[in-house]
Amino acid sequence: MDLSKVPNERKLYLCRWYFRAGLALLPFIWTVNAIWFFNEAFRKPEYAEQKQIRKYVVYSGIGSLIWAVIIITWVTIFQINRTNWGEFADNISFIIPTGSP
Amino acid sequence: MDFTLKPVFLLTIVLLYVAINVNAVRTKDKMYENIDASKACFRRLNATHQIGCTSKRGGSTGVIHYCRSQSDLDFILKNGTAPPYVPVIPTNLFTTSNVNRLKQSSKISGVLLYAGDENPDYFTHEQQCPNPESSLKGTCKASNVWNPHGTGLLYQDIPFPVFFVESEETIKFAKECFDKYNNHSFSTQRDRSLCSLQLTSFMYAATNSSTCIRRSNMITNLNPVKFCDPLGDNNAWASLFPLVRGPNLTEPIRDVGYIVVAARMDATSMFDKTEGAISPVTGLVALLATAKYLKTILPTDENFTKNVLFVVFNGETYDYIGSQRFVYELLKGNFPTKSKEFLPEIRMDDIDLFIELSQLNKTETVVAHYLSGTKLKDFLLKLRTNKGDLSFDEAEDSLPPASVHTFLKNRTNLPSLVLADHRGPFLNPFYNSVYDNASNLHYKYLNLTKDDISQSDNIQTHVQKVATMLAKSLYLEITAKSYQGPEDVADLQFIDELFHCYLENANCRVHQAIQKLELNTQPISLYIGVEVAPNFITTLIGLTLGWVTGDVTGPGNRNCTNEPKNYALRYYNMSRSLDDLNTTMCYRITMNFTEAVSPAFIIDGYDWSSGQYSTWTESIWGDIKLRVFLKPSAAHENMTIAVGSMVFILALLLVYFVKSRAHILFAPQLPTLAPTSC
Repeated sequence: MDLSKVPNERKLYLCRWYFRAGLALLPFIWTVNAIWFFNEAFRKPEYAEQKQIRKYVVYSGIGSLIWAVIIITWVTIFQINRTNWGEFADNISFIIPTGSP
Repeated sequence: MDFTLKPVFLLTIVLLYVAINVNAVRTKDKMYENIDASKACFRRLNATHQIGCTSKRGGSTGVIHYCRSQSDLDFILKNGTAPPYVPVIPTNLFTTSNVNRLKQSSKISGVLLYAGDENPDYFTHEQQCPNPESSLKGTCKASNVWNPHGTGLLYQDIPFPVFFVESEETIKFAKECFDKYNNHSFSTQRDRSLCSLQLTSFMYAATNSSTCIRRSNMITNLNPVKFCDPLGDNNAWASLFPLVRGPNLTEPIRDVGYIVVAARMDATSMFDKTEGAISPVTGLVALLATAKYLKTILPTDENFTKNVLFVVFNGETYDYIGSQRFVYELLKGNFPTKSKEFLPEIRMDDIDLFIELSQLNKTETVVAHYLSGTKLKDFLLKLRTNKGDLSFDEAEDSLPPASVHTFLKNRTNLPSLVLADHRGPFLNPFYNSVYDNASNLHYKYLNLTKDDISQSDNIQTHVQKVATMLAKSLYLEITAKSYQGPEDVADLQFIDELFHCYLENANCRVHQAIQKLELNTQPISLYIGVEVAPNFITTLIGLTLGWVTGDVTGPGNRNCTNEPKNYALRYYNMSRSLDDLNTTMCYRITMNFTEAVSPAFIIDGYDWSSGQYSTWTESIWGDIKLRVFLKPSAAHENMTIAVGSMVFILALLLVYFVKSRAHILFAPQLPTLAPTSC
């Protein structure tokens, strides 16, 4: 979708809904939202809905950052300890790599 | 001709020309030369360890370094400038110290082995005390080990691929490639193209058996991966007399004792090729010859109080898989079957005597090993009486690795002995290796006809003597009389044929006599393999055992079937004799197979750390292959990646430039005029 052809209230509507959808533990939607509406929020001349869009973009950005920290921490912990955890690690794995302990 | 068709016609001709004259050769086929006839070392696992070799995922590559001697290998480890290398070494350099050095060196990515000009003096990668965990404690003393030349490399975890190449042409090809590209000015090897090898033998399993079995059984996604399979196959057993009596042979004979005559049937090797001439084929042939001779001199049961069970165990190399399972079923009362209705239950205590035929190469003496404290005096005397011109000796309180260990662990007073060709350490320098072949046994096929005798002293006559001694002693044990009949010795033709079957040609006369399939002329591998893929050799051995212990009920025809069904017997049409393959007779035999899969894999919640049963598994692998290619020099490789990256960046810049200038480069679209009719 080309945002430049969309009316401002529609932009707000989209941005709000992306933010709400991300609340359902979907951090990538927040990431998309933050990047997609970044220009609208910060780099476009001011318009009525911009303030609210800016709010959602900031919230989405912070949210996805927190998620990123959580995910990276977990992946690091898991990869370091996968072998030691033995059966537990296998049980929570979706794909077990072949040829490694 | 219609001129509009002319271009079409011409085009067709051109296309046809292209299709006929141009063979599409794929780039990879131009780059690589595949090498067949190579045998890889692969990974096996037990409860605590992983052993064997693996390549990297997708294959390990390295520069060929052809070695003739130790100094060649030392040279490349010290002076190699273009690592990683794949040394191509003769088998006599494959020693523990060399493997350890290769493991420590960072310059090595794999090893290729070839048979040198002459056989090494010894080549055995079994441990010095085979099956240390599952044998009786104290039977292998550190000062006097059974397999003194054993390197134990078979049980080491080797982090790079090792292949054994059999064909001389392949080695010649590798050597020529090495001489042409690699074998000069070693200090500048990095700067030129080098002949290299890619060894692919990536193993899926890792860590230990419990881990890989657990992972194999786990279904966490839609594409479950199998990591390993338990080693396993079948044991074969047969009895001298049927286990049933009565007019219709439906009444189980319960109150008799059994003499077990056992041998193993499996061998192993570092590589995916086994030979197993001295171990297990000599013992196995001796068992079959004993069975045949005993049946000849003692064809019918005259209400004797003893019967003979001939048992051929499988997987004994890997912590006695076959006998462990056999004993497990015996103790649970499941032998010969779970149901007690049709067959008598045979228990551990019903075994009066256990005789195992181990390695029986032609050496000076045949030695009976036994533990003191078991009641054997009588039977040893019988063996001495019947030994003929065989040199026979006893070794008290000595027990080489054998299936009887499993039995003795569960019944310490079982009268048991192991017949072997050695008193102390093994005399076989190639135990469990690819060199334990017919020439290790000095076996030459004699192609005899019935009643031919061999003048010379060879392995066949030696095994004949052992079988004769044992069968006559068993005769004496069962009937309490000495044999006085006309058949004086075991069947030499049968022995000669059996060696031929197992060591040279599987499509031999014995195998033609017992079944109809035309077999491959190669010998069949004696490695136990995995339980999901049964070995045909086991069936063949079982049928052979059935053939020689069976009773002829009449001429062979389609009425030779088990009607009405008798669960104690099998009926087969088999040839009358080796000289008369085309005349079939109907044989009624008491033979069956029992599973040779370790109890560890069938007990629910088995404690893997207990060490009670064999836990060997074999890793799954995807591809095993070996290929030669020319690896460009490091400078060339860097150049390629640099040019590629530059082209990529330039393309990005170009696209960006075109896009940002799009309004200049492409004429703007004219606005469409509004329709006039509205």
